[in-house]
Amino acid sequence: MDRRTFLKIIGTGIAGSTAGNLMTPGKSSAADSASGPEFYGILVDTTRCIGCRRCELACAEVNGLPKPDISETANETVFKSPRQLTETQYTVTGSFTTEKGTIFVPRRCMHCNQPGCVAACPVKAMKKRPSGHVTWDSDCIGCRLCMVSCPFDVPKFEYGKAVPNIQKCNLCWERFTQGVLPGCVEACPTQALIAGTRRDILDEAKRRIAANPGRYVEHIYGEYEAGGTSHLYLSAVPFDQIGFRQDLGTKPYPEYSSFYLKSVPFVATLTPLLMLAVGAAVKSGRNGLEKREEKHEEKGKH
Amino acid sequence: MSRKLLFLVISVIYLVLIAFGLTLVYSIDTSKPVKQTVSMAKDNKISIAHTEIFGRLQRPQVVFDHKKHEDAYRKEGCSVCHPVNDKKQVIFTFPKQVRGKGRKVLMKAYHDECIDCHKKSAAESKPTGPVTCNNCHKKEFARLRMNYPVAEFDFYDHNKHVRVMKEKFGKSDCGQCHHTYDVKDKKISYSKGAEESCYYCHDLNKKRGPEFAAITKAAAEKGLSVERISHQSCLNCHLEYRTAYEQVPNEQVHKIHREKVACNVCHPSNDFKHAASCTDCHIPLDCAKCHTGKYRTVEELKDVPRPDRGQKDMVSLDTRNARMKSVSFSHKAHQADSRTCRGCHHEGLRACASCHSLTGGPEGNGINVASAYHSVFAGQSCTGCHNKIKANKECAGCHYYVSAMNIETMNSKKDTCASCHAGKQMSMPKPLPYSGSVKEDVQIDVLAKEFGAASFPHRDVLNKLVRISNDSKLATYFHRDIQTLCKGCHHQSSSSAEVQMPQCRNCHMADNDRHHINKTRLISAYHRQCLGCHEKMEMTKGIKCSECHKKNTAPLEITQLKNQNVVRQNTSTILNAWHPK
Repeated sequence: MDRRTFLKIIGTGIAGSTAGNLMTPGKSSAADSASGPEFYGILVDTTRCIGCRRCELACAEVNGLPKPDISETANETVFKSPRQLTETQYTVTGSFTTEKGTIFVPRRCMHCNQPGCVAACPVKAMKKRPSGHVTWDSDCIGCRLCMVSCPFDVPKFEYGKAVPNIQKCNLCWERFTQGVLPGCVEACPTQALIAGTRRDILDEAKRRIAANPGRYVEHIYGEYEAGGTSHLYLSAVPFDQIGFRQDLGTKPYPEYSSFYLKSVPFVATLTPLLMLAVGAAVKSGRNGLEKREEKHEEKGKH
Repeated sequence: MSRKLLFLVISVIYLVLIAFGLTLVYSIDTSKPVKQTVSMAKDNKISIAHTEIFGRLQRPQVVFDHKKHEDAYRKEGCSVCHPVNDKKQVIFTFPKQVRGKGRKVLMKAYHDECIDCHKKSAAESKPTGPVTCNNCHKKEFARLRMNYPVAEFDFYDHNKHVRVMKEKFGKSDCGQCHHTYDVKDKKISYSKGAEESCYYCHDLNKKRGPEFAAITKAAAEKGLSVERISHQSCLNCHLEYRTAYEQVPNEQVHKIHREKVACNVCHPSNDFKHAASCTDCHIPLDCAKCHTGKYRTVEELKDVPRPDRGQKDMVSLDTRNARMKSVSFSHKAHQADSRTCRGCHHEGLRACASCHSLTGGPEGNGINVASAYHSVFAGQSCTGCHNKIKANKECAGCHYYVSAMNIETMNSKKDTCASCHAGKQMSMPKPLPYSGSVKEDVQIDVLAKEFGAASFPHRDVLNKLVRISNDSKLATYFHRDIQTLCKGCHHQSSSSAEVQMPQCRNCHMADNDRHHINKTRLISAYHRQCLGCHEKMEMTKGIKCSECHKKNTAPLEITQLKNQNVVRQNTSTILNAWHPK
């Protein structure tokens, strides 16, 4: 191999690794978040939630979804079965019976710091905004990769529609740009939800834990889960008792695929070369063998 | 040809491997659910399983009928099966001799002792027990779980023993049960006024300080766990006194009992040829008589006198060189509120300050005297125990929002400290006076547009709080004036303020404060205070919306700005206009 070919290969490798980084957009857009504006988020204090479901009503109003019946009689039946987000309910409140009584937990998109759905989206319809909002755009092709990649089972697909799309909470992105709090936060009658920059709500969560010894489990769900999320949760009981996954680890989801995506260019460029080299070696070997045999035969003749 | 053969061989190996794997997977013995739970105390049956040694059992456990064996060897005594020590005390272990350790040795010991005896009885043509496997290891026992209800020797039992021993047998010597162990001399001794609980030395599971740890270690070497020594010392004594009871002539027994009890208590179903055993009432020997599975509550033990060990009624807790004033502590009042002495005196019956010094040190496990008294969660500290009581539903309504007394967070106020650190004997204050000069009903109309005004029965609530406070000794002591109770809701009002309580809306804004996220808005202040108190006090009233808000119309629009009003595209330009602060 001459010097020129060697440099070519090295050059392709470097270019490939850079391209690999670009292929994981969730990572690249959130990696330098410390220097950009602080992410926006919501702190959910489950010890304060009273299960009135006004956040659900507000969410439906704000997003033009069918309004849920939140009367007392409806609430009695609604909480009996486990609740799931749907394509027309961006937030739902679940009820859990624990050792510390009934605990209500409003769930919605966690708005991960490094979202798996954004990294998975092949058409960049999911976006991680510089303000922390994970929003959805109309470019969606309905591939549902975001549903598979979400550790919190948040994006929902409009199975019933002719031209289906993905639907999920966008942390009231439009209201945010107008300087207004998210609909659910505005409607909450007990301030179980408070909105602010992630740094502020994290401080507040830690302050509450420190100021009320024994009231909370000493863990803020979302501080490190799946690389950290913009929704933070406080709880009086261990989080697995109120339906939170404890097996997510602290690694951001896009990073699980970054190794493979990075290695694609290498594999793509190096494999043909390797194959060519092997082929050449085999060929030359065979040629050599044939030549030797020929010589041998010639010798035998003599 | 050879290639075909190779292919065949490989595929056969694969098939075998797959079959092997499948059988492995499906033969995993999933633990079967327990079919039923039986109380061992009910008819004196004991489960012999020793899963701690045998692990998973090859054959079902043996459920041993102790009562049957006990009755059969009534004359010969316990020593037929149980070993006897040099003081002629029966040690309640079985088998008598286990030579060595391990599964096989133990199994052999059991089999030898049980089966040999059964064979012997059969040879002597006496009634006997099974000698084949399945008659002891019955299949029906496999999914049976025995439970052993607790037996507790509490103050009631202690008092009864002290009284009966004194009155009937004329013995007032506490040394019959209480003793201490000298680690150097390896001797047991008793000295009056230094009695302690069995648990300090014989509870082998608990980590103790250096002094007790040495004794516990010695006890552990001899295998003297609480279970073992309580059976040994209780039952040996009971056996001894059973004989004393049974030797009383019949005429005298009748004379004593005729006036007090009905005939059928001793002669069930009026069978006058036989009588029940004395131990049925007097000296319990049956498992269930002690293993009741119940702890007596503080309420039940309230009037039971506590063991007298020469403790003072009032103790002045005054640490030398401490800057705080001394605390006058009523030991008499507090000992009635605890089920055991061990609840507070966790390391021997001595003063806290004897280990926990002012500066802390290894003898107090690094806990200084201030932490020993004020630790927020410890069951043995003043604050810890008080905090536990404050979490009760009667108190939690207010105290959920009043942060716990915690010297570490330094949120305690001067008058909080002074309520204990008075430097003199504090008297128990009189129950709170209540003049009834407060507003009767308060109308709360923040949400009036949507739900109608809520009416709050102000005077009734105060009445109830006063009643709760006056019912509790702890509350009466600490709630020294009526303002303390007002502070439960009017939390920011100062006691030095003249009359007016500040209104909620003076501090709590009607709207969310975007820049101070911790600030509670008005609607939230009302809901959290009202509902929180109702929930924490486990009230049945005032939990549902309609119980406070009379007007129950369909909700109006609760949000102003809609997401649809803003075009979804071109958001990047809007973002640039956003500044975090």
